[in-house]
Amino acid sequence: MQMRSHGFPCFVVEIIMAASEALRNQVAAKWQDSFNRLNRTGVGISGLMEFSKAWAVAAEFLRPRDLGAPPKDFNTHEIRSAFDVLMQCRMLPMLLESFVACLDMSICQRICGRNQHLITDDVTRFMTEYDASGDPDVIGRLVLRLADWYFAWAPGGELGQTISSAYIVNFQTHVFSVLPAAFAAGFKRLLAATLALFTEGATPGVPASVQDSRLWPSFELLGLADRYESLIASVCYEHIETHVLETCAGKWDEPMLSRLREWMAEKVVPWMLLPYARGAKTAEEARTMLQGVGSRFDFHVCKTLCDLRTKEMFDIVIDYPDSTHALHDLKECLQRVDQRTQLVRALRKSNKKRLLHPGADTKDILTQYVSLIRCLRVIDPPGVLLFKVADPIRRYLRDRPDTIRCIVASLVVDGESGDSLVDDDEPIQPLQSAQVDDYTDPNWEPEPIDAGPDFRANKPSDVVSTLVSIYDSKDLFVKELQVLLAQRLLAVTDGNYEKERRNLEILKIRFGEAPLQVCEVMLKDMTDSKRIDQHVQSQSSSVMHPTIISRHFWPKFQSSKIQMPGQLHEIQEAYAREFMTFKPDKKLRWLSHLGSIRLEIELQDRTVGADVPPLEAAFIELFSEQDVWTLNDLIARVGTVERSAALKALLAWVDRGVLREETEDVDMQRFRLLERVPEDAGAGPVGITTAGSRTALAEEEPAVLTVQQQQAEQMKVYWKFIEGMLTNLGGLPIDRIQTMLKFAQGYDRTVDQLGAFMDAARREGLVSVKDGIWRLNR
Amino acid sequence: MEQITTSLVARPAPKSAVSGSGGDVTGSVTKRLSNELMTLMMSSSPGISAFPKSDANLFEWVGTIEGAVGTYYGGMSFKIAIHFPPNYPYVPPVIKFESPCFHPNVDIGSGAICLDILQDKWSAVYSVQTILLSLQSLLGEPNNASPLNTDASNLWEVSRM
Repeated sequence: MQMRSHGFPCFVVEIIMAASEALRNQVAAKWQDSFNRLNRTGVGISGLMEFSKAWAVAAEFLRPRDLGAPPKDFNTHEIRSAFDVLMQCRMLPMLLESFVACLDMSICQRICGRNQHLITDDVTRFMTEYDASGDPDVIGRLVLRLADWYFAWAPGGELGQTISSAYIVNFQTHVFSVLPAAFAAGFKRLLAATLALFTEGATPGVPASVQDSRLWPSFELLGLADRYESLIASVCYEHIETHVLETCAGKWDEPMLSRLREWMAEKVVPWMLLPYARGAKTAEEARTMLQGVGSRFDFHVCKTLCDLRTKEMFDIVIDYPDSTHALHDLKECLQRVDQRTQLVRALRKSNKKRLLHPGADTKDILTQYVSLIRCLRVIDPPGVLLFKVADPIRRYLRDRPDTIRCIVASLVVDGESGDSLVDDDEPIQPLQSAQVDDYTDPNWEPEPIDAGPDFRANKPSDVVSTLVSIYDSKDLFVKELQVLLAQRLLAVTDGNYEKERRNLEILKIRFGEAPLQVCEVMLKDMTDSKRIDQHVQSQSSSVMHPTIISRHFWPKFQSSKIQMPGQLHEIQEAYAREFMTFKPDKKLRWLSHLGSIRLEIELQDRTVGADVPPLEAAFIELFSEQDVWTLNDLIARVGTVERSAALKALLAWVDRGVLREETEDVDMQRFRLLERVPEDAGAGPVGITTAGSRTALAEEEPAVLTVQQQQAEQMKVYWKFIEGMLTNLGGLPIDRIQTMLKFAQGYDRTVDQLGAFMDAARREGLVSVKDGIWRLNR
Repeated sequence: MEQITTSLVARPAPKSAVSGSGGDVTGSVTKRLSNELMTLMMSSSPGISAFPKSDANLFEWVGTIEGAVGTYYGGMSFKIAIHFPPNYPYVPPVIKFESPCFHPNVDIGSGAICLDILQDKWSAVYSVQTILLSLQSLLGEPNNASPLNTDASNLWEVSRM
């Protein structure tokens, strides 16, 4: 309004020419009014003179000047009266306008006498220094300097709210306009330095400006706190991240989350008071102001920790149970931060990369899987996470040939070896199978919201049940158990079956009585044969103590048809006769290749004693008939023996110094009995080769066929059928083969298994497939 | 060192042989045939093979006979159809050549075979395997006394001269 009236007169003059009388009168009145306002009640133009003087005084008072210049001496009273005059004339806003214009020129690069762009100079100087050094201290000093400028130029508070706020806005606007882009980065470093001061305490290296108590009020004055609010937050976020990574990485044996929260409360919150609770009068007020931002930072702490733990999860699982605290932390974090999918994805990825590959031992995979079960049960008791993570592992394990054997081996606790998968503390309980939901249960709860379609809430919860449930039926386990038990029973030599008995009782609790009945019979056979042996011995004592087993209840044995020669055969016969009188309805069928024989060989100059496998005993027995044998003749005498096995047995005697090999050519290997130790035989080589033969013996195949071998044996039968049908019926699709195989007795494979088998046959070049039709290769 | 603990083996309960009528007979034939199939599959005699045509009917088989090496039929492979009557094995199975076979004892048109054990000399102790083996040897050594294919018989006589 004032501005317009100022320029009015000349405007009026032009219009006057054409204007009407009324307009002229109106303008004249307006002119008079303005004049009166400036002149007030003064005589003549004295009021006008007074106003002009007051303007000059006030303007000079307000004019920005260089900080270095000597402060001018102002008469407070004079200035006050000058301002009073201006106020009376309602010209204060005008004064403000001129002040602001003047300020503009001082700060920015416009010409306004000597003190042009004073601040710009300073800013440029400091920023150049900062660019060179990168020291946040420089920025700190710059901020303080700017604050100095601010105070030097600030109009006194007595001039009223309008002037000071206009001043603030202008000052800030112009300061921001001259600050270069690099300032933001520098400012961030300065903030970080202040935060570090709070969290790490004052160290000698901290620059003075950072510790200056005026720093934060200066930020506030200059409006930096508002302008760079996001910067302040990001400084805090980054600090939290660094701190979490530094303190928590790889530290799983202590609860870190509570410690981090303590750290936040003790170190970071006092700093947060500065930017976020400025202007707070009381502690209560400060707390309310901090609430929002505080929970944001707490969230960030959780998120950072959660990210870190997610990344480390695989190793945490390996370290279980030492890493229990980390799991509890993670659980708490996951409740605050929704990162479950990330956790699942990360775990699946690391499992795939580090666990589920051919290089990993099945036992290790199982161990890791069991740890995983335990870990994820800590984090997520309903088991949704476990279900999602475990699925690929289970599928992979299903394809591994020795999974069942490993599980079974770990079920049969050895006592001495402590690396069993099952905790000894865990109560032994029957296997649980998945049940359908019981909707009448008052405590029924729906499935968790992120559960997959196949998820079962009441899945078996104990480790053994979970492992067994990898496979659809537990029959496979029972079969494998049988094989394992057979091996262990046959390995027992001292007649003490207590351990096996105990294992069997435990397994009965798990698998139930019925499936393990076979094992029960096996165990009974062992004790029975001891009893039978006692009886037979009492009738006619024999040097032989056979183990008598029931064929139908034992797994298949490695087939071998050794005929024991000479006196060994006689012993067997004598025993069998005695057995027949004791149990007339039963017949003994000797598995001559199993067992061991203690021999004492009397030679002309020495006696050799040894515990040997039956084949070796059979061979040395033959040497009592004649001194020289060819390998082929020996084999022919004992029945069907593999050449390599026979050779190994003979070489064992060579090692003992009882036989000597007389080789003319490879096909006609001859062995001679050494009735006397030859003079040229050195002691050294004999010792070495003996050691060698021992290890060879130790590597001997187990007597009982493994389940796999048994299956392969069966598959040979089925192959004959497949061959037969493909020969006669031409090409067949896999479904037809599957249905036709029902002619083979006991065929119980699935189409998938058959498919895998056919694929294997194809790789061996036996069959080929085209458009789903399988044909024999001819 | 093995013992058959008969006392522990669950013995199949003796079948009540009273109401063993038609169904039971078919059952025993089926059993016999599947046993024969098993034996045949496991015997691995070279050049002979047979298998049921479909899984639904065990009475219709397809067989394959390869001519023995060194005979005129060496390297050749013949398909035969085997049909078992319901009262097998008391009567012989009906066997025909599906592939055309130029042979003194085989009718080239119908594929009918003249072989004594398939007619009057049949005995229940014979099996698919013995029949197939007889057929295989028949290829190499025809019985010219009772030819079905006189051309072949004559040629055979000429070649023997």
